[in-house]
Amino acid sequence: MAEILANGGWDLIDGQSSIRPPVLIIGLGNPILGDDGIGWRVVEQIAGYLQPSPVNEIIFPLTSSLPSGLQVEVDCLAVGGLALMERLIGYERVIIVDALSTRANSPGAITQALLSDLPDRAFGHLCSAHDTTLQNALKVGKEMGAKLPGEIIIVGIEAAQIYDFSTELTPELLDSIPRAVELVMELINDIP
Amino acid sequence: MERIVIDPITRLEGHGKITIFLNEEGDVANTYFQIPELRGFERFCVGRPVEEMPLLTNRICGVCPEAHHMAAAKAADAVYHVDPPPTAKKLRELLYSGFYFTDHTTHFYALGGPDFVMGPSAPVAERNILGVIHKVGLEIGGKVIQARKYGHRIVEIIGGRKVHPCTSIPGGLTKGITEQERQEIEQIGRWGIDFAQFSLQLFNDIVLGNPEYVELILGDIYTHRTYSIGLVDEYNKVNFYDGKVSVVAPDGERIGKYAPNEYTDWIEEHVEPWTYLKFPYLKKVGWKGFVDGKDSGVYFATPLSRLNAADGMATPLAQEHYEKFYATLGGKPVHQRLTIHWARLIELLYAAERIVQLAADPEITSNNFHAVPTATPTEGVGIVEAPRGTLTHHYKTDERGILTEVNLIVGTTNNYAPITMSIKKASSSLIKKGTVITEGLLNMVEMAFRAYDPCFGCATHSLVGQMPLEITIQDADGQILDVLKQNC
Repeated sequence: MAEILANGGWDLIDGQSSIRPPVLIIGLGNPILGDDGIGWRVVEQIAGYLQPSPVNEIIFPLTSSLPSGLQVEVDCLAVGGLALMERLIGYERVIIVDALSTRANSPGAITQALLSDLPDRAFGHLCSAHDTTLQNALKVGKEMGAKLPGEIIIVGIEAAQIYDFSTELTPELLDSIPRAVELVMELINDIP
Repeated sequence: MERIVIDPITRLEGHGKITIFLNEEGDVANTYFQIPELRGFERFCVGRPVEEMPLLTNRICGVCPEAHHMAAAKAADAVYHVDPPPTAKKLRELLYSGFYFTDHTTHFYALGGPDFVMGPSAPVAERNILGVIHKVGLEIGGKVIQARKYGHRIVEIIGGRKVHPCTSIPGGLTKGITEQERQEIEQIGRWGIDFAQFSLQLFNDIVLGNPEYVELILGDIYTHRTYSIGLVDEYNKVNFYDGKVSVVAPDGERIGKYAPNEYTDWIEEHVEPWTYLKFPYLKKVGWKGFVDGKDSGVYFATPLSRLNAADGMATPLAQEHYEKFYATLGGKPVHQRLTIHWARLIELLYAAERIVQLAADPEITSNNFHAVPTATPTEGVGIVEAPRGTLTHHYKTDERGILTEVNLIVGTTNNYAPITMSIKKASSSLIKKGTVITEGLLNMVEMAFRAYDPCFGCATHSLVGQMPLEITIQDADGQILDVLKQNC
């Protein structure tokens, strides 16, 4: 324990070593809540590109090298707030693929934005029933000295149905998967 | 009639909406607390093997997947009529204690704590975990993060992965722990005892040491005299993982204890036309409306109710604080709902002590962690205490173990009626004719339900797309008089 405490915490936050690939791609959402599972479905396909094998044989988190030599880690998560922030520690760039519910776009529409450009809804209690927002969690992490990514890109896909339990996506969301995969692959291929 | 709506449109963990209707005089006429219900879970489960439920149900909720994992595993044990070996039960409880440690820490420092550490009317930009860390110091902030990490680590060691454990199956677990892992867990538990004691001291200094807060806590605004329920062991001590559900009346009389398979004799659900969610109540007492008292079947299920429903804590330091709690607050049961925060910290200490107790148990590293089910599966109920209330899973299967019926009563659902009552009482007390509606005032209404640590039952994380807080005031003709919006 003495050794654990002496390390001061952050590099042990997820029980892994402090050496990470520079890029992390996360599929975020609930895989059994209809369109909220879109992030997982997109990232599973990306993992299939990076390590060709049937989806059900891929073990996340998966680390792979691009032809350029860039190391990329891929994972599927169903967490938010502090737990999500803790998962981002140690990476330089993060791409989060998630369902988006603006009700302004048509289902399947893909939006790309930097997290830092999104409205900061960090302050206030009702943001979450039990946790805090990712933006606020990132501020907490930075204040506490955690090494957090300099860039977090959100790839959001407008969802149509996120209140009914199902592993099926609505057709518009299903159609959006190749476009979302292409976008994420372009984003990681553009990384110098 | 004027109408005030507190509408946090957020997709992080579901959202609730509070609507406050004012009468012609400007006083509160009524309040409604609505929660969007996720649909079709039972339909989704029927036709699947019951052994999938510990994995499936922990995807229902992003806040307490470990609780669903445990309740599902216990229900699946019951379906298969199999009694897991002592090592399996102890390992599950050990995992669960690690989860409680993280969860209660997060609630106190990130959610409930800011109201007290920063003050109920502090500027909204400061009233959050960041403000708490600024006020109490970065070193303490580091301990909070450390506490979360250690709890997650215990879940990972026993549950196979963090947050969404995957090792519980009918009859026990798929794996045990090594002596090295046992030592790590025990050391984490010892660190946790210090951290929990520190947190209780912080509460003592900042909250109990402030007469204004004490008045707020003990005042009538946040007080309700309802039944209390909570899981207890054979000695009537609080237990999170196993035992019977103790039911204690508002005057302190224990009216009975029920085993998981008896829950339908005790709990029934009331339906209201303005919400899809049902209101559980005590069947033996009956539904008399949203009212306090021994004749009303309304009950609550929180850290405070668990303390009220038990005769004490099973660990020595938590027991000391249990005694101090009731000595300070004038005996059992306690009805002031804001004391749930204090009760939660006593449970935090119990969780840490229980981690050490279980990790030190000679059986904990045994390889006898699974009993192979041999009986024909039929029907079973599993109950655990989720941090935010008693969690009941009830399954029926065919002879192959394929699910035919599923019923869940989740933690926060238990508290739907008392939360509704608490919001109405706080609103009626705080909003009178001519009251200027401020953010601080509405926060004090929110505090009424935040004490229950509500979880609105969904693990969706789609990004926020709309204004999270909107207060609309309408006159009797439906004309909007004022709109207050917040970028929270």
